[in-house]
Amino acid sequence: MKERPPVLQSLLVALFITYMIVPIIATYIFSIATQWDITLMPEGYTLEWYQTAFDHPYFSITLTNSFIVSIAAVLVGLLFIVPTTYWVHTRVPAAKPLLDLLMILPFGIPAVVLALALIRVYSFPPLARSPFLLISACVIFSMPFMYRPVSNSLMAVDVHTLTESALSLGANTLQILIRVIAPNIMPGILSGSLLVFATVFAEFTLANLITGASFKTFPLLLVEFTRRDGRIAAALSVISFTVAWLASLALLWVGGRGRKPTEEALGAR
Amino acid sequence: MMSFVRAPRNKLSAWLGVAPFLVFCLAFEIVPVLLLLSGSFSDKNGAFSLGNYAKISAPIYVRSFWNSIQISAITAILGAILGLLIGYAIFRLPSPRVREALIALSDVTTNFAGAPLAFAFIVILGSNGVVTLAFEKYLALKLYPTFSIYSYSGLVLAYLYFQLPLMILLIIPAFAGLRREWWESAHNLGANTLQYWRRIALPILTPSLIAGLVLLFANAFGAYATAWTLGGSNITLATIQIAFTITGEVLHDPGAGDALAVVSLLIMGVCIATYQFANSRARRWAR
Repeated sequence: MKERPPVLQSLLVALFITYMIVPIIATYIFSIATQWDITLMPEGYTLEWYQTAFDHPYFSITLTNSFIVSIAAVLVGLLFIVPTTYWVHTRVPAAKPLLDLLMILPFGIPAVVLALALIRVYSFPPLARSPFLLISACVIFSMPFMYRPVSNSLMAVDVHTLTESALSLGANTLQILIRVIAPNIMPGILSGSLLVFATVFAEFTLANLITGASFKTFPLLLVEFTRRDGRIAAALSVISFTVAWLASLALLWVGGRGRKPTEEALGAR
Repeated sequence: MMSFVRAPRNKLSAWLGVAPFLVFCLAFEIVPVLLLLSGSFSDKNGAFSLGNYAKISAPIYVRSFWNSIQISAITAILGAILGLLIGYAIFRLPSPRVREALIALSDVTTNFAGAPLAFAFIVILGSNGVVTLAFEKYLALKLYPTFSIYSYSGLVLAYLYFQLPLMILLIIPAFAGLRREWWESAHNLGANTLQYWRRIALPILTPSLIAGLVLLFANAFGAYATAWTLGGSNITLATIQIAFTITGEVLHDPGAGDALAVVSLLIMGVCIATYQFANSRARRWAR
């Protein structure tokens, strides 16, 4: 192929990097600026906004709630999706198209529609507007993120031989799953868990519509502050970005992302 | 070969292993969505009716869908074109380490969506944002009031932030699928670069491009958090109208909400089906 003019190539790449990085860096700087709305550079630096954010009564509540929902979604996802995927791979290959279809459906259901559908059906206690309903919704919403890496890992190792060897040594299915299969597909399990955690942690729509004020999550507090106090909102955004960065770094470190199909990139819009 | 795995013999019990997960999906996804569908075709007494669809032909709802479609189409087309160009620039970078780093950057940034991203855009492009100020100072260009991050123009910029990297992630594998031998054979047969792109490379990339376009469209169409953070009720989108039927910020009418949701599902369904089809076409050229 003929070489493109390197100038144009470098320019495109440079513009892309700028576009991707400037909003993030600006938010980090804004969160430690005393005042930054008249001058081109901040007038001074302070950690006051973080202090105010930490002191806010809802800060630790919403952060805890977000961790609860994210970790619960990961655990429920692990409990349902890993065994089911393994089972389908080894025992019922005929169910694979059905499983694939179920894992694509969440992409076709906007979060607002999922929230509406669930609120309609579960309008009675104890589920109505409860954290349990929110966690279930988050599991549905994030299950493709768990499924893909796990399924890819299962295809990469010889599950049949592993299963047969373990069976011939007298292991039961639970033992096989926990002691033989899980260690072999650990990168997939870790990638899936991190993706689910990061997505659910940043999830605003489902939390806002399903639980709302009764069980506020971190993104809800953030949106509240974008309307009240931009500096606090900046501090909270930085915390969100940092969680996302850490999850992404962990994902890169786990190394399960190289072959990831791009559908997984869809998240909390 | 003897097999310990009892796949064909014990079919029913094997299917039972899938049951818990199926029940979960039925309970929290399939049945609620089906009930939404039936609800949209019922009146208050549960009798069949198209009344809900008549209700959502009101101008506010039609406009919300039209806005959603426009924003999704604009950001999908811009995202696809820019993603194709930038994706190719990244793909052709000489250093594999820089290339990997940029792909990782795309991976991370597609996940930077929703509320914090929307706020980041307010920081740089709000009426006192640093980019707004820089434009005014160095380029003597007043962005406001022509442009506003809190309006549809701002929404396009913010959506592109997650659309662009998504397209790049989608298209780079397609570039990798273009084999060097194809260019060499075309060249040996006397084709020039333009002919090679028009007659060979672009037709091979077309399914990936279409897959990218519809996925980006669906991605933007279902979005809510970014738009809600930026514009609140000033922005009229389908998802925002549906959310209103839950939060009760407008006249509470469950039937209309169901109908809005069903129309959205229909649009999303067409996108996802097209994506699946185009993607299976694109995979023919993979590896």
